Amino acid sequence: MLNYYQIAVISWLAIVFPIAAAADTVCFNCHKKETFSGKVVHQPLAQGKCSACHNPHVARFKGLLEEEGSALCFSCHGKEQEAFKQGMVHQPVRSGQCLVCHEPHSSSRNGLLKDQLSAACFGCHDKLPQKFQYTHNPYSKGQCYSCHRPHQSVYGQLLKDEPDKVCLSCHKSQDLQKGHVNYPGNLRNCLSCHNPHGSGRKGIVRAVLHAPFAQGCKECHDKGKIQGGTQNCLRCHEAVATGMLARHSHLTGKGKNKCMACHSPHAGNDKSLLKGSQLQVCRGCHNDTIARYEDRLYRHPKAKEGLCMTCHEVHGSNRVAMLRGDGNAICTRCHETQGKFTHPVGEKVVDVRTGLMVTCISCHLPMGSDFKYELIYSGSKDLCIQCHKRY
Amino acid sequence: MPICEGVSMKYVKNMLGQSALLAVSIFIVATTSLAAEPWAWKATLDGAGSGQAIVMPTALYIDAERQRYYVVDSGGNRLVSFSREGNLLHAFTAEGKLQIPYDMVRDNADVIWVVEKGRNSLTSIDVKAKEILTYIIKDGERTLVPDRIDYKNGIFYVLDKETGQIAILSSDLSVKNWISCSECTSGIVDFKLTNDGIWALDQLDKKVVQFDGEGKLIKNFDVGQKVEFPVSLAIGPAGNVYVLDRHVADIAVFDAQGGFKYTFLAKGWSRGELYFPIEILFDPWGGLCVVEEGNGRVQVFGR
Repeated sequence: MLNYYQIAVISWLAIVFPIAAAADTVCFNCHKKETFSGKVVHQPLAQGKCSACHNPHVARFKGLLEEEGSALCFSCHGKEQEAFKQGMVHQPVRSGQCLVCHEPHSSSRNGLLKDQLSAACFGCHDKLPQKFQYTHNPYSKGQCYSCHRPHQSVYGQLLKDEPDKVCLSCHKSQDLQKGHVNYPGNLRNCLSCHNPHGSGRKGIVRAVLHAPFAQGCKECHDKGKIQGGTQNCLRCHEAVATGMLARHSHLTGKGKNKCMACHSPHAGNDKSLLKGSQLQVCRGCHNDTIARYEDRLYRHPKAKEGLCMTCHEVHGSNRVAMLRGDGNAICTRCHETQGKFTHPVGEKVVDVRTGLMVTCISCHLPMGSDFKYELIYSGSKDLCIQCHKRY
Repeated sequence: MPICEGVSMKYVKNMLGQSALLAVSIFIVATTSLAAEPWAWKATLDGAGSGQAIVMPTALYIDAERQRYYVVDSGGNRLVSFSREGNLLHAFTAEGKLQIPYDMVRDNADVIWVVEKGRNSLTSIDVKAKEILTYIIKDGERTLVPDRIDYKNGIFYVLDKETGQIAILSSDLSVKNWISCSECTSGIVDFKLTNDGIWALDQLDKKVVQFDGEGKLIKNFDVGQKVEFPVSLAIGPAGNVYVLDRHVADIAVFDAQGGFKYTFLAKGWSRGELYFPIEILFDPWGGLCVVEEGNGRVQVFGR
C-alpha cells in the first residue's frame, strides 16, 4: 500500500515529465522542423530535445545556448574532449570553434560535416592554391581528410600517420619503385621531393630543386649512403656555418643531419628549401609555444601570418630568442616613427627591474598578448607601475 | 549509557574519533602545502650595484672551496665572480680575448676551462701562468660543437651540440668515450653529474634520463605534460628533479621516478620572476640558482 509521500512523488513525475517532453516539441510550432531536416540529424534534435542545447527562456549566450563554443559540445562528447588534447591540436578545435566544420542541427554528410568541407578548410587555409598545374587527386577533389586528421594528430601537419605511410596507404610500393628506377637506395621521405597538394612540375615534384640534386645524386650520396651529417651541407653553405658560431644556434633537432630538421635536401616550394611554410617548420619543435600564443587576443601581423623569420635569425643568433637584433633595432626596422618619438628607450634608459636597457620588448610582446598593442600587461596601469612604482 | 540527556557514550566516542581524524587531516594538508611552496628569493647576482651589470649570462660555476660564484657573462665576453653573499668581486675579460663564452669549469690544477661559442673551442685560462690556449675538439674527422661542460675526478664531460651526446675527454682532450641516449631522438641539451650517475635532459622529446657512472642508461621519464620548452635540469638534495622551462619561465619539480610534484616561479622581470632563463643548478649551501639570460642576472632562491 503506497503512503502519501510515494503517491505525491509519482504524481509529480507523471505531470512534470510529459510537460517537459511536450515543451520541446512546442519549439517546432515556431521554428519549422523542416528547416532542420537532413540526411543526418543531430541526435538531441532527432529526439526533439532542443533543451539539450538551448534554454527556452533566457540564456547568457547567443542563440539561447546553455554554454558557449565547444563547452556545449563537450558536455555530451566528453570522450572526444580528452582525445582531442593529444599531440598537435587543430586550431579551431583548440579555440572551441566546432561549428567551423560541423553543423549543429543537421547535414547531408556523416559526422554533421558542412556540405563543402574543403570550403571550410580553404576558408582558413586561404593561402593554399585551389589547384595547381599538376594537382594531387585527393586535393583536387577537396578530400583533405584523405591525409589529414581534422581534430588532432600526433604527427606533424595533422597527418594521419608518418608521411611515408600516408603515401603508401594509396600508392603501392612496387608501382613507386617503377617510377624511381635511378633512386640511390630505398625509397623513403616522399615529401622531400613531392608536394602532396600539387605542383607546376610533373609528378608533383616541388618547384625548386637543390642544385646537387638537379645535377644527379653523387654529390651527397655514394652507393645509396648519405655522406656525412651536417658537415655535408655546411661545406658548401659556409655562411651558414659561420652564422652558427653564435650563442644560440639551431644546430639541433632529430636525426644525424641537423640541417634536415628544417630543410629538404632535394626539392622545396621556394629557394629556402624549407620542408613547409615557416610556421609549419617551426611548429615541428615549438608547437607548444606557438599554440600558447595563437590563442592570444592580439598578435603581431607577422606572427599571425607565420613569418617567424621576420624577427628571428633561425641559423644562429647572439640575441635572446634568436632575434635578428636587439629589442629596439628589431622593431624600428619597420616602426621607424616609434623609434624616434616614443617612451624613452635605448642604452641610456635603464629598466629599474633588471638594470638593463629599456627596449620595445620591455613593454610589448609581439608573439601574442591579451592586451591591445600586444602590451605585456594592461596599458592603463599595470604595465606602467612595473617601473614607475611611486605612482 | 547516556552522559547527559540525549547524548550517549557511543556518540561521544564517535565525535572524538572524527575530530582527531579531522585534526590529522588538517596537519597533513598544512605541512604538504608548506612543502609545495618552499622557495623564496635570497639573492641576485647581477653586478648592477657595482656599475658592471651582467649583460647576457649563460652559465654559473660554483667554487665550493673558495665559496664563490662565477657567472659566465656571455654578452659581456667575461667571467664575473661573486662572493657567497652575492657581492661582486671581479670581472675577468682574459684581456678581451674571450669570444662568446658560454660555460666554464675549473680543473684540479686551478685552470679555468671555457666553452667559447665564437671560436667553437674549449679554451684553457691559466691565470697564474697568464696563459690562454684554445683547443678545437675533434672526434676523428668530425669537429665537436662544445656546449655544456662539467668536470669531475680529473675527467671533462663536454656536451656536443651537434650530436646531442656527452663526450668524455681524456687528459689530452681526445674523445675517450661517448654517453648517448638511445631513447632520445633529438639528443641531450643539458646534463648534471651527481653521486648516483649522470642526469640529462632531452629537450624536444621532453625527457629526463639517468645514466650510471659508466654511461649506461638506467631510466628515463617523460616531463612533456608539465613542461613546454625544457632547457636545463638540476637534482635537488632530496633527489627531486628540477626542470627549467625557458619559454614558460618556470620550474617544474618531479620526484626521482618522474612523478610530478609542483611548479613555481613565473615569467617576468621583477625579483622572483624569470625571463628567458637558461640554466638551473644547486649551490653547496642549499641555494637554487637560476641563470636568466633575458634579465641579465642570476637569482638565488632558498628554503
